[in-house]
Amino acid sequence: MVYQDPSPRRIAFSEWSEQFRQVPDELIQRFRYFADSGNQPWATYLFPPLTFALYGSRHLKRLKFDNSLAALRMWGFVMNETERLFRARQIGRRVVATMGDLGVTPPLVLGAGNALPFYPDCIWWLPFMNESSVLLDAAARAGIGESACYSRAALGAFIKRSYFPDPALCIAATGASCDDFSAVEQLVESLGFPVFWLEMPLRKDCEGNENLGTVHKQGQSPIFRKDCTDYGHSVREFITAQFRSLHQHLQQVLEAPLGVSDLQASLRKVNHVRSLVRQIKLQAYSAPAAVLPALELMVIEFGNLHFYSDVDEWTSILDHVLRTVSQRAAARRYLGPADALRVIWVTPPADPLLLSYAEDQGLRIVGSEYLINQALPELPVDDDPVRALAESLLQASLIGSTRYRAERVAEQVRQYQAEGIVISGILGGSHCALETNLLQDYLTKELDLPVLSFDVPSPGSLIQGQLKTRIEAFVEVLRERRRTADGGHE
Amino acid sequence: MSDRLTPRERFGLLVIDEPQDRIPIFPLITSHAAAVADMKLRDYYTDGRSLARAQLRAQEVYGHDFISIFSEVGLIAEALGSRFEYPENDLPVLRAPLLSSAAEHARLEPVNPMTAGRYSVYCAAADYCYDAIGDRVPILAYVPAPFTTALHLVPGEDFLVELTTEPEAAQRLLERITEATIEFLLELLNHCALPVLVDPLASGSVISPRLYRQFALPHERRLIDFLHRYDLDIILHICGDTAPMLDILPETNADLVSLDRVDMVAARDRLGTRLRLIGNYDTTSILLSPPDRIEREVRAMVATCRNNPKGYVAATGCEVPVRTPRENVKAFIRGATTGA
Repeated sequence: MVYQDPSPRRIAFSEWSEQFRQVPDELIQRFRYFADSGNQPWATYLFPPLTFALYGSRHLKRLKFDNSLAALRMWGFVMNETERLFRARQIGRRVVATMGDLGVTPPLVLGAGNALPFYPDCIWWLPFMNESSVLLDAAARAGIGESACYSRAALGAFIKRSYFPDPALCIAATGASCDDFSAVEQLVESLGFPVFWLEMPLRKDCEGNENLGTVHKQGQSPIFRKDCTDYGHSVREFITAQFRSLHQHLQQVLEAPLGVSDLQASLRKVNHVRSLVRQIKLQAYSAPAAVLPALELMVIEFGNLHFYSDVDEWTSILDHVLRTVSQRAAARRYLGPADALRVIWVTPPADPLLLSYAEDQGLRIVGSEYLINQALPELPVDDDPVRALAESLLQASLIGSTRYRAERVAEQVRQYQAEGIVISGILGGSHCALETNLLQDYLTKELDLPVLSFDVPSPGSLIQGQLKTRIEAFVEVLRERRRTADGGHE
Repeated sequence: MSDRLTPRERFGLLVIDEPQDRIPIFPLITSHAAAVADMKLRDYYTDGRSLARAQLRAQEVYGHDFISIFSEVGLIAEALGSRFEYPENDLPVLRAPLLSSAAEHARLEPVNPMTAGRYSVYCAAADYCYDAIGDRVPILAYVPAPFTTALHLVPGEDFLVELTTEPEAAQRLLERITEATIEFLLELLNHCALPVLVDPLASGSVISPRLYRQFALPHERRLIDFLHRYDLDIILHICGDTAPMLDILPETNADLVSLDRVDMVAARDRLGTRLRLIGNYDTTSILLSPPDRIEREVRAMVATCRNNPKGYVAATGCEVPVRTPRENVKAFIRGATTGA
């Protein structure tokens, strides 16, 4: 079996179709999900974007993709997830919907060997990927319309019952977080799905307090500091009690023991994934030029939420991606020009086409704050695993001050010498309306960097002309600043 | 119809062995769409936008579950060099096959699918429909299988004789057609239409099961296996009487088989655990019977087939005749909906 990656390049949909002809059948058959469930004919996933476009993911025709085999694996695996969830139920696994906490509860669910966590929240991409209002319309008929953010698509998916199997349990995190999604969760419960409510408290972010220390090892969570006040203590006890209650409930629902050793094994798997993602990001952001496109990097980062419903295969894919980017970096074979403009992207862009477009215009994403800070750091395994998970929730992007997010961005700006910041707001997202201005003000003043902020328009096949113009103007500003800084020479 | 699922969502569940809100409904509305759109047939099959607009109009009128990009089965043969005439209000007619015998197979040359014959019409129609409703409705495009194409590249009766007298030449020709068809399929995939493999002239009404297994099936299977590289769920449609070859059909590796003149109870009993079945209301009946009778008969058909273990799609056995009254197609839809 001979297959060699071509020179690194971002390629279009039809180019992948052509390149896929060179992929040997043996490779298609080799990569399979649920490897422990036997040699099921349906478990292959190494397919090009056209496969998924044919089944309705229309945006794939417009995106650009990394041309490595590792990236093809990644895309095939991610796009195949709906089928994977149904197959999971067909082979007797218990599917659990984790909602709202974005990355914290899945390790708990994974500890019960036969259970599989997934995030209905992630359905919010589908209106963009499918260029479709089907799910948003379904949500609107159920009572949530344009006044809420695109996460309302998840409600449409619950109504449809064709995007994932009916979950054995829905874990709904609510409280000091996205109020739009809390409304979605309430309506999900009203549809008759079993819901366990998990209350997320407000984090009091302490600044300038000399008693504050970092929670984890250096480099993993540089900003978050333990709140050592009485409030901080009570919050940690409160959330730990919430998690202990969830732990009990899960064992009842899943009818499976969920002991300390099970949880520790689960946390080790999760840490392995998080470690791989951290290394991939570090390679990608530190290299002199791009070794992986922004779109793939974002998909990889979001894999930390629930590992696209198969943690073992996802880990293998991340290994493959890391090898690929490491080889590229070592060989100095890059995807884009060395003079690309380095920016940090804040808040996931909802429309993935924006990342492809930004790169086409000469931007290179060297850092991100995608609202999933709680899913990034590795977890302490040897202590009380339930408490470790509970306390990791306190690092959530959305449950504290905007300044916390801003500092995370600033940290990355300094680490990766970013030249600008893009903040993409989510139309209808109430936290975005408030936060975007605060973030922009803080970052502009603290860092003296150009900040581009905009709301991502509704799903469609194109980026609106006005938004394109703003991105192009932003690129020109960054280029001019670089020229000036270089004494008029670029 | 007020449904929970879109046709695309419904089809998506069918092909992963999950129950749907109702069974998919698939009257094979091909050129009949031109009549629905009050369009001349020649405009329908020579202009991609017209073909697409007719299909979209028909889907709007009937609410069925699939778009069908198709006019007739000479498509690949024409692209490879056979000559067709285009009557104003009838389907293309084969006037001059490219070859006089299978022995001339070496004369088949590689062609660019997008500039040969009317293939680009199909692709343009697929693009248009995909952009319009591809998020909600699967876009199917029917592609003739090699055996049927061969009968449009060589005078039909001569080729059938050559199956016995010149079997090696016939196989060589079929292999070359298969290779060419793969190129056409690839082009279609890039236009986001799901290929339906049609082999009407490999019917039991035309050839024996032995000849089918020897000359038609291997090439159908090669195309289907090629498409399986892309994880696509492939429908194979064979017209006429396929009863003698029912037991062979799983060897094609098709995921769904569309059957015409076959006892569906027998089909269900013999194939139902291995294949999803599509069929098979009689097309003469949909053309000529009164609507209430159509509705009743379709309901009974669905009641018989709906529990097929691998899944079922309520369909006509073959294409809905061009001049079928709209009320009859609507009766079919009603019968299938209530039967489901």
